[in-house]
Amino acid sequence: MNPAGIPLKEPSVSAAAGDTEQLERALIDASTRVPVLIFYTSAMAWLILGTLLAGFVSFKLHTPDLLSDISFLTWGRVRPAHMNVMVYGWASMAGIGTAIWLMARLCRTVLRYPLLLVAGAVFWNLGVLLGLGGILLGDSTGYQWLEFPSYAAIILFVAYTLIASWAVLMFRFRRGEQIYISQWYLLGAFLWFPWLYAAGQLMLFVVPVQGVLQAAVGWWYANNLLFLWFGAIGLGTAYYMIPKVIGRPVYSYHLASIGFWSYALFSSWTWMQRLVDGPFPAWMVTASIAATILTLIPVATVGLNHHMTMQGYFPLMRYSPTLRFTVFGAMSYTVFSLVGVVISLRSVAGYVNFTEANIAYSHLGLYAFFTMVIFGSMYYIVPRLIGREWRYGSLIKLHFWASAYGIGLMTLMLLAGGFLQGASMENPSLAFTESVESVLPYLRGRSLAGILLTVSHFIFAYHFGLMLFGLGRKSTVPTFLNPVEAEGAEAHI
Amino acid sequence: MNESTPPPEPHSGQGMDYSEIADVQDVHAAVQREKREPRVGREPLSIWLIAVYGLAVFFGGAYLGRYSGNFSGEALDPYGGEMATMKKITGPQGAQQAAELSPHDRGKKIFAANCQTCHQANGLGVAGQYPPLAGSEFTTGGSRRPAMIVMKGLQGPVTVKGQKFGAAVMQPWDKTLTDQKIADVLTYERSEWGNNASPVTAEQIAALRKELANHPNSFAEPDILAVPADEDLPGAAPAGGAPPKPGEAAKPGEPSKPQG
Repeated sequence: MNPAGIPLKEPSVSAAAGDTEQLERALIDASTRVPVLIFYTSAMAWLILGTLLAGFVSFKLHTPDLLSDISFLTWGRVRPAHMNVMVYGWASMAGIGTAIWLMARLCRTVLRYPLLLVAGAVFWNLGVLLGLGGILLGDSTGYQWLEFPSYAAIILFVAYTLIASWAVLMFRFRRGEQIYISQWYLLGAFLWFPWLYAAGQLMLFVVPVQGVLQAAVGWWYANNLLFLWFGAIGLGTAYYMIPKVIGRPVYSYHLASIGFWSYALFSSWTWMQRLVDGPFPAWMVTASIAATILTLIPVATVGLNHHMTMQGYFPLMRYSPTLRFTVFGAMSYTVFSLVGVVISLRSVAGYVNFTEANIAYSHLGLYAFFTMVIFGSMYYIVPRLIGREWRYGSLIKLHFWASAYGIGLMTLMLLAGGFLQGASMENPSLAFTESVESVLPYLRGRSLAGILLTVSHFIFAYHFGLMLFGLGRKSTVPTFLNPVEAEGAEAHI
Repeated sequence: MNESTPPPEPHSGQGMDYSEIADVQDVHAAVQREKREPRVGREPLSIWLIAVYGLAVFFGGAYLGRYSGNFSGEALDPYGGEMATMKKITGPQGAQQAAELSPHDRGKKIFAANCQTCHQANGLGVAGQYPPLAGSEFTTGGSRRPAMIVMKGLQGPVTVKGQKFGAAVMQPWDKTLTDQKIADVLTYERSEWGNNASPVTAEQIAALRKELANHPNSFAEPDILAVPADEDLPGAAPAGGAPPKPGEAAKPGEPSKPQG
């Protein structure tokens, strides 16, 4: 039953047998090593590529002549290339890696059918690679986050089917009577994604819906990818990492279940506000805005739940890299949602629609929330897969601050610039070009933020590479961000 | 791959092989020290949180009700105003509603929306630019002249109430306004500001519209003066005897003029 031949703890045996529990975890971690590391390593490669593309895109916005005579380096191709590499290459692969590890841990069983995952990872990489090539060669479909041409989309879908069927199989083999909160979110994400992706592809490319409805389908897909796929993985991961690191139960089951179901119910309705003032029935846009307002329910609930769990333990963020990244991400989820509510209201959406403010919103969700949570989980998981500790605490610190300042600066720049841009676009006495010129300083600021993020990603990739080649520290003590003064409770991080 | 690690321990499973680990306890120090798997507490819901839920539901619901455009599939306007009203007026039961306003009142609205900018609310126009309607011989005479002007517009110099006008061009309204609206606005102009001329019906305008269908866009003063000053629009037939006048007969207007 288990490859190592060591008897796993039976569910009936009481938790007193701490040694058995540790052994069980060690076995589970060992079984997840290859698939999770394949996903993580691929994700890191895509992250670096996506970061370089992002920097290029950002500079092109204020220096449009940069390499503009090379067709595959023009704005119209590099920007979708950047977005898709980040969304499918980095975020999805890293998210799947974390989800695999969490599923194995939470189902309390060694990972079965690793070949499904390895094949899934190979196909996924192939899909992203082909899609990236297709976009750069001019094969982009033109729908946000669905730019991959159909030949790449099919491969991605096959890869995804392998991964999702693995998740369902794993869930069947779970042990223990409790299904932990993270599993709700992860299983939800695994089942929602194929539905989203298939529905998006079918309704836009296979049997295209008519006319303006395509825009509605496109935004529906982009929104649900952000919420039901990335958001669900991010929240599920935070629900595991926070109580795990501080060693305290999640505050309330009731809050967790309300937060989960209201999230699934309301967030899937949102984002038609992107079509505000467009040729759509008013109720369609308004229903989305109302749903966005209702997402305040899961935000308040999940936020309160995490906050109460953390209460009294916030000082631990000084030491634990995982906790610091995860809590930053969880807090960003709240900020992301509040900004989302504000910019969705009709009076505001009319202003910020088609401005940089929407880009700020996407980055808040995908980076400040999701990516930071995933960074945190990688800091936790990778040492357990490799058996080494992260080599330099200082590099982790640098990574965190460069990321945090980078994304903070970028969000502020784009939000402020976006509102200004919207105000100049609304002003009939100004020429359109003036609205473009008014955001220029903010776009330069965004490039500065991009440089910070690039630095942070290169540091992390370097550190991750050290770990991968077995150059981590061999120690029984984890790598802390700051030296622990009192050798005590914190040593368990 | 592992050669460069400082103390090369033969049994360590740090490679990336998918094999069992010889000594699990030794390798996984992280596993040993970590806290137990997360559990879930059972704290009850706070009353404040429920209040937040209520607020979000109320605000969201109110927003939906306010800006839903009456949940009509055709309403682009979030207030549901314009589209819905227009549909009502053209619809069968909307016509009844609109009929509650007298032609004069409907005409007043149309005048305010389309004519008032030039001819002014008091119907006196602007000296030297826009001719007056109040007391104008064109407005208060037979209904044919003003109807022609409104339908097709007027260009070139014109003399009204002894004053010369010429700078401005009046646009044709036949493409913009329906028969009913043109009739209503003429009725209004002919009975407001002390004017006292016969009302005009939509049927009369419809007939005129057919008659002028091939006419080039604007009239000039001579075209208008070619029509007898007191000629009324016939019910159906073009400038002829026009015996029955079904339009006029249909409405028992008070100031039914005894002219031809």
